[in-house]
Amino acid sequence: MMGWPVYAWFVALVLVPNLLLVGASFLRTRSGRIVFEPTVASYARLWDSHSFQYLLLKTLGTSFGAALLGCLIAYPMAYYAARVVRGNRSILVLLVIIPLWISLLMRVFAWRMILGQSGILNTFLVTTGILAEPSEAFLYTGFSVLLTYTYISIPYAFISIFTALEKIPHSLVEASQDSGASGWRTFRHVIWPLSRPSVAIGFSLAFLMTVGDYITPSMVGGIDGTMIGMVIASQFGIANNWPYGSAIAVCLLVSVGVVLALVMWFGQSKGVLTGDEGAQPASSGPQTQGGRLLRMLANIAFAIPYLFLYAPLAIMVLMSFNESKVQAFPLQGMTLQWYRELGENAAMLDAVQRSLIVGFLVVLVSTVAAIGFAFAIHYGRVKQARFFEFALAIPVAIPGVVLGIVMVLATQLVQIPSGVARIVIGQSSFVMPVILMIILARLRRLDAALLEASMDSGANHWQSFVHVLFPSIRGAVIGGALLGFTLSADEVMVTLFLSGTAPTLPVWVWNQMRFGFTPSVNAIFTLVGVGSLLAIIICNRLVFRSQARRAEA
Amino acid sequence: MEKASRTILAVAGVDKTFEGATRPALDRISFSVEPGEFFSILGPSGSGKTTLLRMIAGFERPDVGRIIMDGEDITDVPPFRRDVRTVFQSYALFPHMSVLENVAYPLRMAGARKSERLAKARECLELVSMGDFAQRLPHQLSGGQRQRVALARAIVCRPRILLLDEPLGALDLRLRQQMQHMLVSLQKDLDIAFIYVTHDQGEALSMSDRVAVMSEGRISQLGTPREIYFDPSSEFVAQFVGRSNLLPIECVDRNGAITALLEGKPLSGIAAPRTGPARMAIRFECVRLDAPDRPADGACSIDGTVKDVLFLGNALEVNVRCGGLNIIAAVPAASEERFTPGKQVRVLFDANNATVFHG
Repeated sequence: MMGWPVYAWFVALVLVPNLLLVGASFLRTRSGRIVFEPTVASYARLWDSHSFQYLLLKTLGTSFGAALLGCLIAYPMAYYAARVVRGNRSILVLLVIIPLWISLLMRVFAWRMILGQSGILNTFLVTTGILAEPSEAFLYTGFSVLLTYTYISIPYAFISIFTALEKIPHSLVEASQDSGASGWRTFRHVIWPLSRPSVAIGFSLAFLMTVGDYITPSMVGGIDGTMIGMVIASQFGIANNWPYGSAIAVCLLVSVGVVLALVMWFGQSKGVLTGDEGAQPASSGPQTQGGRLLRMLANIAFAIPYLFLYAPLAIMVLMSFNESKVQAFPLQGMTLQWYRELGENAAMLDAVQRSLIVGFLVVLVSTVAAIGFAFAIHYGRVKQARFFEFALAIPVAIPGVVLGIVMVLATQLVQIPSGVARIVIGQSSFVMPVILMIILARLRRLDAALLEASMDSGANHWQSFVHVLFPSIRGAVIGGALLGFTLSADEVMVTLFLSGTAPTLPVWVWNQMRFGFTPSVNAIFTLVGVGSLLAIIICNRLVFRSQARRAEA
Repeated sequence: MEKASRTILAVAGVDKTFEGATRPALDRISFSVEPGEFFSILGPSGSGKTTLLRMIAGFERPDVGRIIMDGEDITDVPPFRRDVRTVFQSYALFPHMSVLENVAYPLRMAGARKSERLAKARECLELVSMGDFAQRLPHQLSGGQRQRVALARAIVCRPRILLLDEPLGALDLRLRQQMQHMLVSLQKDLDIAFIYVTHDQGEALSMSDRVAVMSEGRISQLGTPREIYFDPSSEFVAQFVGRSNLLPIECVDRNGAITALLEGKPLSGIAAPRTGPARMAIRFECVRLDAPDRPADGACSIDGTVKDVLFLGNALEVNVRCGGLNIIAAVPAASEERFTPGKQVRVLFDANNATVFHG
């Protein structure tokens, strides 16, 4: 195993594309064509544009607010799941993560159904007499974008905070109580400082996911909810001014970088957690009447965010069986008509087939690369391994819309036409690092003596890989591959730029939705959701079974 | 009331069974600790000693029974309002605070002013010879240093009771011995009652005023180290504390007096309460070895063959095969005598060093 494929991947899929973006932002266009004349015209135009500055601030502010709200909602949830609940903890966690696997389009679309003028919320308010007539205040406003962004943020914030809270040894809490600190002061002086770095990470993840999102604002935002991602996308679409779009993207990247640096600075905490044991909730004494009531209230409070996460999805599934074309309660009767329509739609079946092919290729390329890179990095074949591990993951941290145009620029440069090939390259750029991280984490937990023991027993490198190393990371590889597949199958923001006339399923759905609504969309999303769920369950089973087998041995 | 004031802590009839467990973790535990006493709880893992300690600290509630501190019932007092501090087995130092901040933490919680608490924390760090490490973070310290910081944090408020949960468990032998000396002198200086949980009988015997030996949630024996060592009240204590041969004997009635038989041979001077099969405990170091032709001089004796010898530095452990039994003798390594496997020896021990248990 050599280091050069790692360097090559970095140069081809990270370094050159991003340099192209910066380069393109210094060019100009003349009658719709890019002219190779260095200029700062695009930046000068941005500098003078108050509407751009306002839009940038609004975008950053909305994403920031949503990530903040997401953390505020997720923190108590994570605290409850990690440190209060006993048993069934993994189910509580899984329930928060599942929405991440369900297409972003679907989740946003569900919100449109709820907030719209003839939507669920209005129907409810009018029939109960709270409002005299349907309000237009819910959809196509800044508020609807903020609400949907918050909805998107919660799972990211939750995962990060939960992992941190679960890792804090219970003995530290006891030591604090033993030192005379009450519950609240223990939280303030011990739990919060120890979980703050992870809150910052969860916040950053959520922020990144929404700040480059042009899907959500264009679906639920309307004029008031326009965000900068939409402007960038339009420069590469209708407006056809790549240098200007690139310049906006560079500005967005820089400001996102500044915001994240500030967040990380706020989140930093001294010291290294060396505790070996995890959280073990204290055994409770005999319950008093008041304690039981309090616990019940806590359980109810804990359930509300789950309702928030699942209600939109449930409504969508329900509507997919609804006979009426109007998305409102009461339901008009049960039908499978929308599913039947899907089966007759050749264009859609085409898109499904393309999605599967793309997903398969992306997973193949990414998994093979990730396994090789993980070994090269872990076993010291890469110089500056820490830097490259971080550098390869950069595409994950680039807002979707920016990554989309970056990959357009890169594939355009080497004359790869739009379509499957472009999509595979673009998606692999962010799927590979995810799988790489999963495999590396597994490798690092592995007993370092395993490889030595295998070679000591007379196996060469290749034999050691086949018989010892690969079997011990198989669970991580399969889990990573399945995660990669769902990431690929749901992707819209990057794919939309790369697909040209060959849409994958989400892109096809997105195009359909812009032309008008058909309840068939509900049916597709229900199927996609069920498919994603099945993938998670299978993935979970596989990982669980390999763990169980290891435990048995 | 006079008696109550002489007792700093009383544990009265405490039972505890954990959810889902079949047998109780603590079973009718009662004892009391005097002010300034070094009290050890000794037992194998799973004997309930840590549960007992956590109950005194306030992290567990007893199902039945009370915990009384200085005459006041503290059973329902939360841990942060008890005048009891704990040195945790894992040290539980706050990773995000410096050594000084860690030690000052209890003072901060008690509402002390910043200058005062830093001064007191520094003073306390000097006491455990960690004054030079005040600005370090816990992960930059070695195990022994962390241990001393944890100790400093626990004593900085001068509690009346200090709980120590196997505090030396993670240290190597040399460090452990150093720390034992330090703990004992610290305890005398501070005049705090120490309740020390350990599975290491050496630690318990060397440092304590009194030792409670625990087994399966009960106190098997409570007494001074000397009593525990030389007068074990049960087979379990004899086995667990020190190293003993446990030999099957037969007690028979001969002319109205009960005589103990070892391998059919009568043992002179062994007192047995009743007839029937029994077991006799005799410590390794109470067994002597001699040439087979020497007279026994009134000691109990049995002949055998040396099977194997372990060299322990200060002593030799000689395993002697006597008929169907193995008897181990610890003899000074410096002695002239050479014990090689196959050598014929006479095993000797005094009757007053042996304890008889009826199963």
